[in-house]
Amino acid sequence: MQLIVESLETKLGKKEIVKNISLLVENQKFVGVVGPNGCGKSTMLKSIYKSLPPHKGTVVLGDIDVLKTSQKKISQKLGVVGQFNEMHFDLTVEQMVLLGRTPHKKLLEVDNQVDIDIVENALRQTNLLDYKDRSYLSLSGGEKQRTILARTIAQQPQFMILDEPTNHLDIRYQLEILQCVKKLNIGVLAALHDLDTAAQYCDYLYAMKDGRIYTSGTPEEVLTPETISELYQIKCETYKNPITNQLGFVYQI
Amino acid sequence: MNMEKGSNVRQKQAFYGFAMFFLLCAIAMTAVYSVSIGQVSIPFQQSMQIVLHTITNGHLGSLDQVESDSYTNIIMQVRMPRVVFALLIGMGLSLCGVVMQAIVQNPLADPYILGISSGGSLGATFAILVGFGSGTVLSQFGVAFGAFAGAMATSILVLVLSSIGGKVTSIKLVLSGVVIGALCSSLSSLIIFFANDAEGIKSVTFWTMGSLASSSWSKVPIMAIIVLAGCFLFLFQHRVLNTMLLGDESAITLGINLSVFRKLYMIIAALITGTMVAYSGMIGFVGLIIPHICRGLFGSDHKHLMPASLLLGGLFLMWADVLSRVLVENVELPIGILTSVIGSPLFIYMIVKKGYNFGG
Repeated sequence: MQLIVESLETKLGKKEIVKNISLLVENQKFVGVVGPNGCGKSTMLKSIYKSLPPHKGTVVLGDIDVLKTSQKKISQKLGVVGQFNEMHFDLTVEQMVLLGRTPHKKLLEVDNQVDIDIVENALRQTNLLDYKDRSYLSLSGGEKQRTILARTIAQQPQFMILDEPTNHLDIRYQLEILQCVKKLNIGVLAALHDLDTAAQYCDYLYAMKDGRIYTSGTPEEVLTPETISELYQIKCETYKNPITNQLGFVYQI
Repeated sequence: MNMEKGSNVRQKQAFYGFAMFFLLCAIAMTAVYSVSIGQVSIPFQQSMQIVLHTITNGHLGSLDQVESDSYTNIIMQVRMPRVVFALLIGMGLSLCGVVMQAIVQNPLADPYILGISSGGSLGATFAILVGFGSGTVLSQFGVAFGAFAGAMATSILVLVLSSIGGKVTSIKLVLSGVVIGALCSSLSSLIIFFANDAEGIKSVTFWTMGSLASSSWSKVPIMAIIVLAGCFLFLFQHRVLNTMLLGDESAITLGINLSVFRKLYMIIAALITGTMVAYSGMIGFVGLIIPHICRGLFGSDHKHLMPASLLLGGLFLMWADVLSRVLVENVELPIGILTSVIGSPLFIYMIVKKGYNFGG
């Protein structure tokens, strides 16, 4: 499924946060969005999945006009892994993941064996089978985020939006989460704060600054010392990592 | 390994099933026991016969051993409606407690949190001390109406206030509830301050402690329809209620707009609470503590939490009512006092024993 965003504009109060953004995620591509804090990455993603309805623009996912379609219909196709959120009540990991079936259920419909199998599968993909009966609130940050990912997988989306999904996570968890998403082989639009990860996982990158797309292209094209210096207001050198053969970065203020 | 887990799940389900069965039996037993207690002491054996006989229309049980004909009357006309009331109000309070806690995503919420208590009190205070025009004609209906009107008016006000600026969020709801509640309380105090009516002030104080004394069959239908319809509705809302626990952001990504459901649920819960407040005054603690006890026992999944809370809430209030009648001889204690006196130690025990962390 491909995502086409055109001339998206979003205001928070009177302040314009997202300014005329257009982007494209082709079928099964992993597309990243990078940029400094406060550049409007999160707001743009929220506008795309309608948590913050945009003031202008169109969002088309596959054959769905997102801004004109019911939230339920959208959530059957589009999964979102957001930034870490706090909860005041406890559920078990299994119950939490089972909630991912919500978009596919009528209000009074009960979960059946199919749903349970889907949940089981999602737990397996995220290495959480042993955590099934654990309480969600007792989990570590990485495990919580994996549970949310499992919930999103159980949603069986054909497209996924990730909003800095690896924030606060240790390296291993970061890799696990992204690896898992990559294996799903669906279209992904992800806001990422770590440039090494962006270079490693993304097929295409959009760099954002002050609510606009600054530049876009393959990681090699976008992640140049000049662009990075301009985006983050730092000095930066890039090099080819001799071990991984991937882009590496050195920063300085 | 997998089999172990399967049996674990089965064990839990069996435990839940057994607990539900136990609660149902306990409610039935308590009902019979409860009607045998009161100023006129009627032996348990006889009250059971009377209840069985009346309920089955004479097919089961016999009235041969019953010592006095008035027993049947006392049990079926005086005590039974009260027991039914206790059951309904207990169910209603814990239902609204569960719903309110989900709506505002806060374990501290209870049915009265959104200003309903202060609004109801203001209405009742107004009805008792000022009256609706006709002055001295302050029937019980006047107080009930005042309380109901006050409760509904505040909930609508809270809802309107929290809708300003678009989405109804849990924080806005709680804050609006607190503000409107404070306003209503001070208005009540103002009325009390200017009222030169010691007897009336005493009635107001008693009203706020809650009482089931005014129960009668004539009031049961309204109460039963509203509470049972509410229970029936919310028993099937577990999916949305569970999603509410996740917060607005996650709920939207699962296709549910919480803002809409919050409003809807709040109106229904306010209607139920308003009716309960009108008939029985303020009975505190039940709506707060029963949902927590059930969470501690069965987890936060509303599919299990809701039925368990309904039954345990009903049972709890029936026992509170029994105790309110027997603890002090020839005096009926306000039931609101009892609910806190029994509830607090139960709650403390749970915290100490089970390491329950208040939902979070």
